[in-house]
Amino acid sequence: MAAPESRAVLERVVEVLRGVKDPELDRDVVQLGFVKNMKFENGDLSFDIERDRPTINVLRERLRDECLKAVADAKIDGVLGVFVNVAVKVSTEKAAPKFLGNVKNVIAVASGKGGVGKSTTAVNLALALRETGASVGIMDADIYGPSIPLMLGATNAQPRVTPEKKLLPIQAAGLELMSMGFLSQGGEAVIWRGPMVSNMIQQFLGAVAWSALDYLVIDLPPGTGDIQLTLTQMAPLTGAVIVTTPQEVALIDARKGLKMFEKVNVPILGIIENMSYYVEESGKQVHIFGKGGGERVAKESGVPLLGQIPIDAAVAEGGDSGAPVLTARPDSKISEAIRASARATIARLDEVKAGSGSFDPAFSMEWK
Amino acid sequence: MTRPEPVQIRQEGPSMLGISWSDGLESSYPVRALRQACPCAHCIDEITGKRILNPAAVPADIRPLKLEAVGRYAIRIRWSDGHETGLYSFDLLRQLHPRPREDADASEAAS
Repeated sequence: MAAPESRAVLERVVEVLRGVKDPELDRDVVQLGFVKNMKFENGDLSFDIERDRPTINVLRERLRDECLKAVADAKIDGVLGVFVNVAVKVSTEKAAPKFLGNVKNVIAVASGKGGVGKSTTAVNLALALRETGASVGIMDADIYGPSIPLMLGATNAQPRVTPEKKLLPIQAAGLELMSMGFLSQGGEAVIWRGPMVSNMIQQFLGAVAWSALDYLVIDLPPGTGDIQLTLTQMAPLTGAVIVTTPQEVALIDARKGLKMFEKVNVPILGIIENMSYYVEESGKQVHIFGKGGGERVAKESGVPLLGQIPIDAAVAEGGDSGAPVLTARPDSKISEAIRASARATIARLDEVKAGSGSFDPAFSMEWK
Repeated sequence: MTRPEPVQIRQEGPSMLGISWSDGLESSYPVRALRQACPCAHCIDEITGKRILNPAAVPADIRPLKLEAVGRYAIRIRWSDGHETGLYSFDLLRQLHPRPREDADASEAAS
């Protein structure tokens, strides 16, 4: 039905509404996913602002006025009348522990073993997902050695706190970022014991005000201990990506990681083999750490090998200087390999969601 | 993911919990039997695996107050006796799935 010109009007309105901030949440109403039922017929523009939480009347009116004013100020051709309805729709899921707000896909990046480049892979994977036009967040849950702020050049960032006592993620390289590192004093190693970690992680999970992200990538600390178990149990993970290197020692631990997710019924999206090979100047691939390890583990576990990322000094440099390889050298072989892994991950997410997910991780029921 | 998951969890009358599984199985659990089967460390000795909870001590009128998902692998049940530490994994619930009637009677008598 929509004529091309009415589509242009609607697009323009969305653009204008990006300038309207929710007074309580400090984010614009488009980003929050509050704009619904937008229509433009015979010169009349109408839309709903649907807040997903209890809202006092004053706030409702203020939002309505701000939307009206923004649209009026934009003086959009053809718009004669504007009707805004501010509604409140608290979804039933709210009753359940909804740790991660309106995030659509939650991807955990894990490794059985440290030093395989898990955080670097997580960051680059997030950036590659962002390149597809999706809204992406990254949560650095490595309580022992949070490194993602450094990789994204945001070491000195201080997350702000909303009136609802939620932490607002930092914006870095087009990603929403939250890190355990922001909560401890810079440079100090954090020594936490298991139960403390579990509590901390649970609070942290619930404390961040993510917007309605398409993907949230969670960088888990290496290993299969308390903190990993807590996260995999508590967070409604859509799936997990296991990062490994081709050596046998790394593979043994990757298998442990696979087992952990299996135990708590989190679907494995697949394996990314990092430091797969080195490309000589002649273009020859040298398999420094052996060949085919990631593929072997993937096969024996019946999960796909999502990608093989070559080793390159530029990756480490990029990480240390706050310019990840995907942004610093977008045309390199390695960036291509990362993008291919991201595409495989997206495809696999769809597959996993179609295949499982009959259980709703937001399930909650009162007995009558 | 070939492991069965609950598709629907519902209350069936005052004291039965019903679960429809993704593989088509239909389960109905007497809630008191679920409370007696609580797998938490207060009810089962973690090392020996022996039951600490005396099943007879569970009130006859025990009821769940609230059930909620724990990730993708279990549900937590908050009970009217204040107990809430038990996580009922899907695997456990499948194991508890009532056997054919004659066995069910026998096992009830045995417990």
